[in-house]
Amino acid sequence: MGGVCSRKRDQLVNEDIIDRVVSGKYCKSGSSKWLGASFSRAAVDIEQGKRKCPSLMELCIYKIREDLNKYSTFSMLPRDISQQIFDDLVYSQCLADVTLEAFQDCALQDLSLGEYPGVDDFWMDFVSSQGSSLLLVDISGSAVTDSGLIHLRDCTNLQDLNLNFCGRISDQGLEHISGLSNLTALSFRRNNAIMAQGMSVFSGLVSLVKLDLERCTKIHGGLIHLKGLTKLESLNINCCNCITDADMKPLAGLTNLKSLQISSSKVTDYGVTFFKALHKLALLNMEGCPVTTKCLESLSALDELLFLNLSRCNFSDYGGEKFARLCTLKVLNLGFNEISDAVLVNLRGLTNLESLNLDSCRISDEGLVNLTGLQNLKYLELSDTEVGSNGLHYLSGLGKLESLNLSFTVVTDGGLRKLSGLSSLKSLNLDARHITDSGLAALTSLTGLTHLDLFGARITDSGTGYLRSFKNLRSLEICGGGLTDAGVKNIKDLSCLTLLNLSQNNHLTDKALESISGLTQLVSLNVSNSRITSAGLQHLKKLKNLKSLTLESCKVTANDIRKLQLADLPNLVNFRPE
Amino acid sequence: MKKEDTVKLISAEGFEFVIDKKAAMVSQTIRNMLTSPGSFAETEHGEVTFPEISTVILEKICQYFYWSLQYASGKETEFHIEPELTLELMMAANYLHT
Repeated sequence: MGGVCSRKRDQLVNEDIIDRVVSGKYCKSGSSKWLGASFSRAAVDIEQGKRKCPSLMELCIYKIREDLNKYSTFSMLPRDISQQIFDDLVYSQCLADVTLEAFQDCALQDLSLGEYPGVDDFWMDFVSSQGSSLLLVDISGSAVTDSGLIHLRDCTNLQDLNLNFCGRISDQGLEHISGLSNLTALSFRRNNAIMAQGMSVFSGLVSLVKLDLERCTKIHGGLIHLKGLTKLESLNINCCNCITDADMKPLAGLTNLKSLQISSSKVTDYGVTFFKALHKLALLNMEGCPVTTKCLESLSALDELLFLNLSRCNFSDYGGEKFARLCTLKVLNLGFNEISDAVLVNLRGLTNLESLNLDSCRISDEGLVNLTGLQNLKYLELSDTEVGSNGLHYLSGLGKLESLNLSFTVVTDGGLRKLSGLSSLKSLNLDARHITDSGLAALTSLTGLTHLDLFGARITDSGTGYLRSFKNLRSLEICGGGLTDAGVKNIKDLSCLTLLNLSQNNHLTDKALESISGLTQLVSLNVSNSRITSAGLQHLKKLKNLKSLTLESCKVTANDIRKLQLADLPNLVNFRPE
Repeated sequence: MKKEDTVKLISAEGFEFVIDKKAAMVSQTIRNMLTSPGSFAETEHGEVTFPEISTVILEKICQYFYWSLQYASGKETEFHIEPELTLELMMAANYLHT
């Protein structure tokens, strides 16, 4: 099952870097992020750390940042320039409340202050001074209170308002935004104070296209106020366990809905019947809802349905034949259900499928024969299933396959030969304890591989020799304990690497760091649980793109790393120990 | 420098800066002016006038062009900007798309 210790933490660190588009593998309750898990991880890549020449614009903006106190106002500048200066100051965290005055009459359009430290009611005066030019306000994670929202009344053209994680906002605050009839996007994630009564203002927000109320605990009964919002295309009420079937009724007439997310709610098959007329519905997320295959009857008439997430719904094989009618589907997530090969028979006709997730289902080798016709499959998730080497034979014809996850399965080296013809493969997860060096040997033809996860596989130094074929590798994880410094030498020419995890190879010494000292594209490095010491840190000096460094359980202290950060690695934002 | 490889950039006050074409093309705006067929008179004479850009600023911009080519070839140095020039320089950079 998902690994313990440093692996999970690595994944969290990677999340920071990949900007919260999570892999989904370890995020067991990542319902609202599941789309990230549906497609090839290769498509979601860590930012390539290439350094291009800064433009003159950028140089000037940095200069302004340096001399900030020399400027009393930017109102003489064209708006798009003052907007860029503002955005840069937010990005570099140089914007203080005293600086706000300089932007008073700049007619800014965009105030993206999400999670910016110190934003409170005092800032709202500045927000309202931008008046009718303001199109977007993001004050998520701020300390703004209900009375702070009064200032938004002047922003009559506001289209996009993000109040996620604003713990001080309640029904009273909603009152103050009731007049914003140009609002198209509104977001109130994780709010425990908004209730049905306050939500009555939504009925006046007639332009609303996108509404996000994820993790709001008290909104039961409030969706009735959405009834007339016929322009609504996207509604997210994931993880609102107060939501029941009754709350689905008012959605029945919202025929422009394209995306509906109700994961971890109490909606049952009966609630899903209200979706029958939502003919434009393309995405439906019901992860963790108490539904059964019966709900598929309500969905079979929806010919635009492309994405369906039914993971953790306690599905059994019973009624599995109903899947056969969902032939428009491109993405199907059935992870963590008690389904077996019998259900897979019904997926044979779903030839539009590009992504299929069967994580932790009771699927075995024979079940995979039903996938041979799914020629559009790009992403296949078989982690924690009973699939072994024989099953891989059925995958050998899937010419478009880009991402395959066989972690925690019983596949062996012999089976991997069947994958050698899948030239489109970019991402391969072979974190399985029967995989050894010979398995790697069988894969050297897959020169397009960019992500290779061999976390718990039994790879030794001789196996690393085969890695040289993967010249495009960006992400590599080998944490089985079998590597020594000699093996790491074979990695030193993989110049595209941005993520490298060699943790738990406790024979590695500072010499290993010497070998990788030239991998200047590295953004994330983990060599925890090894014999690395602080003397080895000098080898990391050239890794200017490094943002994350993990050296837990090594003879390295947080101070050692901090010194390295100050002297040589300005981009290092995450490090452990800290 | 051969004439075919150079362009002439003229400031508001009439000062002429003769620089390598390669340097001038660092600016997307100048690049478009010099390469698009027939739409600009500039292509014929290899001259561009900037009535809104002062001499001091235009000089600084030319310095930036050469600095940028040097940077791209691996020599990364600092580009110094006098504080009193910053705002004007920024507006010119915006116009020149550079």
